[in-house]
Amino acid sequence: MDTPADSRPILVALGSEAHALRLIQAGFLLARERSAPWIAAFVDRGPGTAAEDAEQIQVWLQEAQRLGATLQRVEAPTLAQGLAELCRRNRAQALVLGRSRDRWPWARLGHSTADELQRRGLDTELVVLEDRHELSAQDGGSIDFSAMVGALLVLAAATGLAWLVPREGSLALVLPVYLLGVTFISHRWGARLGVLAAVMSVLLYNFLLETPRFQRAANHWPNLLFFLLMLFAAQLVVGLLRRLRQQAQVVKRRELHTASLYLLGRALARSLTREEIARTAAEHIRRVFKAEAALLFPEGEGWTVLPGPAVLEGLPSPPDLLVRLAEGERLGDPLEPLPVGEATCLSLTGTDRSEGVLRISTEAVQGLPPRTWELLKAFAVQIALALERLRWLEEARRAQVQNETERMRSTLLGAIGHDLRTPLAAIHGAASSLLLPGEVPESTRRDLLAMIQDESERLAHLLGNLLDLTRLESGAVQVQKEWQPLEEVLGSALGRLERRLGALPVEVELPEQLALAPFDAALLEQVLLNLLANAQRHAPGKAVSLRAWSDHAWLHLEVADRGPGIPEAFRERVFDKFFRLPGAGEGGVGLGLAICKAIMQAHGGTIEAQERAGGGTTFCLALPMDGLPPVAPEGGL
Amino acid sequence: MNQPLILLIEDEEPLRRFLVPTLTGQSYQVLCAATATEGLALARSHNPDLVLLDLGLPDLDGMAVLRELRAWSRKPVVILSARNQEKDKVRALDLGADDYLAKPFGAAELLARLRVALRHSIPAEVPRPVLTSGSLRVDLESREVTQAGVPVKLSAMEYRLLEALARRNGKVATHAQLLAEVWGPGGEGNTHYLRIYMGMLRRKVEPDSARPCHLLTEPNVGYRLNLDREGPGPG
Repeated sequence: MDTPADSRPILVALGSEAHALRLIQAGFLLARERSAPWIAAFVDRGPGTAAEDAEQIQVWLQEAQRLGATLQRVEAPTLAQGLAELCRRNRAQALVLGRSRDRWPWARLGHSTADELQRRGLDTELVVLEDRHELSAQDGGSIDFSAMVGALLVLAAATGLAWLVPREGSLALVLPVYLLGVTFISHRWGARLGVLAAVMSVLLYNFLLETPRFQRAANHWPNLLFFLLMLFAAQLVVGLLRRLRQQAQVVKRRELHTASLYLLGRALARSLTREEIARTAAEHIRRVFKAEAALLFPEGEGWTVLPGPAVLEGLPSPPDLLVRLAEGERLGDPLEPLPVGEATCLSLTGTDRSEGVLRISTEAVQGLPPRTWELLKAFAVQIALALERLRWLEEARRAQVQNETERMRSTLLGAIGHDLRTPLAAIHGAASSLLLPGEVPESTRRDLLAMIQDESERLAHLLGNLLDLTRLESGAVQVQKEWQPLEEVLGSALGRLERRLGALPVEVELPEQLALAPFDAALLEQVLLNLLANAQRHAPGKAVSLRAWSDHAWLHLEVADRGPGIPEAFRERVFDKFFRLPGAGEGGVGLGLAICKAIMQAHGGTIEAQERAGGGTTFCLALPMDGLPPVAPEGGL
Repeated sequence: MNQPLILLIEDEEPLRRFLVPTLTGQSYQVLCAATATEGLALARSHNPDLVLLDLGLPDLDGMAVLRELRAWSRKPVVILSARNQEKDKVRALDLGADDYLAKPFGAAELLARLRVALRHSIPAEVPRPVLTSGSLRVDLESREVTQAGVPVKLSAMEYRLLEALARRNGKVATHAQLLAEVWGPGGEGNTHYLRIYMGMLRRKVEPDSARPCHLLTEPNVGYRLNLDREGPGPG
């Protein structure tokens, strides 16, 4: 179906940008759409990469790997060079990369990575995702030399342009030219340089453009207005730009926060134990906040600290700390961090109660901006919810087990109440009448004794079954699997049953060369005994057919009777403990098939009831032929 | 010996109440012990002809009692085992016990096993030269096997297996014992050899190999040759 070209991989170029998650998703979707493998690549541009960027990249790479990408890293002086190298090396069919909007038009005209890649003549399809939010995050903190030169150049260009404008009455035309220049400078190099440029524009205009030229012309009153206007416009533009920039930063941070919360939430959702939750939480906090964190759980008078070694110095006792955290709760913010010794503690409060305490080293979080604090609190909520989910899950499980035990106990009591008491009452009655003073006729005496024997056998059988089932279900029975012929257990089961019930009409159909199978002879004999005895009880005197065959993986066995059959609705329930078909006669307590099922399960096999064509029930058994059959003895016959 | 002396080592009162009259009613002499220590002391002082040993004793493991007994006596020991002692049962047989009875058992079964166990205890291990199980006849002297009067041709291995069973005179033989006797030392692990040969043997001597009446299987324990005097022998 696929053309060979489709098997070429899709390459996704990742940087430390906040929208890397979108790149990853785009790459993943594209790869899935074209059913091609995909590679998450990172171009290492030498030692310039900041440490936190490197860590952030690690997070993205891991996320990509989770979605099925292979990871590649290449060192190259420029992004384009590295990507070109990667595309060639992997013969990639498509390259997904992001482009930030802060690239200036001249970058778009020829210097963007995408364009450069195209110039390099790659036959790789380029998928460029625009970053919708990101703007230059450079702050106008300091004015460096290159910025100054740049600003001067812009002003020179503006002045040059203004020079071309006819002299007389030119202010209205010159003003926009300078305004454009100042605005550009403010935008590109920051606010301070913008103000400086505005002042310089006035001076330049006054000295160079106003007639008479090269004179101080401050006494021209329109120049004063020009100066004020310029300053005001520059301030306005700078203010606007600053706000825009701040918004962009907020958006970028928010996106990063959302992404890290999302990653934490998903990692926590996969954690199944308290240890795993603690490890996941600590790992994510370390990555996002560069801080060591641990979860504290009250345990009696002390704390359990997860993960890792317990650092308990200066930690107040659980009641003390929890009360102090709860006080913060009363103040309105349940997540108010509390400085405790060298660390800061946050209450992990879920829906209804505290699940524990998050402890995080203070020096790492001290300088955090308020918004990052919010993220930390959001982390705490996520962790608390994960812990709560775990607790509820455990409670639900426990309740279920308890219900099951309760139900079992009542059925067991019900069954024992009836099935044990009846034979006991008969035995007790028969024995006491035998002990009555006076002659008992010989025939009566024999009848009573025979009844005692029969009923006690029934009791023994019932108790034996109960015991067997309990032992099987509790795992106390060890299945001793040995490779052996089915014929052998079949023989012993039939022999045993016929000694008890007399000759049975059982038709056995075994292939001449039935392979050996691994099973526990005593347990499988029990299964056959139960099935054959059942068949005999429900269809006395009617032929039972027994068939066996094997394929390479399974030994199949069918026991088919001509009894009344099992209604469809009960075909699974007949294997339940104490289940008896409605309307079934006396005898049997509904344990036989439950034992069969338990034994088959202990073997890794299956048993099910099916309707038999022409009436009756077929029990289909399958035993797995695990492992290697033993070598046959030399010489054979 | 007219009245064989049986030592019953059993800690449960109801079983003793059932066993003692049953055995004395069959003109056996019976000695009773409720603990292993008492049982061992009685065994030393009275040297009984047969020991009926319960595996679950309060003071000492039944296996330890057996080992101690076997240290000085070759007299037959029949094990009484409860339902959850299957493994101990096989270990006891391998350690030299002669037979076992799984609780609950009936009087007829008990007496039949005791007769088998006592039969070849005196004189020691000399089997009868000719054994019959229904229509199957095994002559250990002339090494002839016939089924319903027709001679059966057996391979050397099959004959050795049948012979090993026959020499046990109706007692159960564990897998380990048969493997050691037929395949020699080192063959103990290859239980499936035994099963394959048993299958082949059955196809030759049993009228219906799916319902053996001469060579009986004791699941997870071993095999037994169903000799005539015990039970009705359907063949």
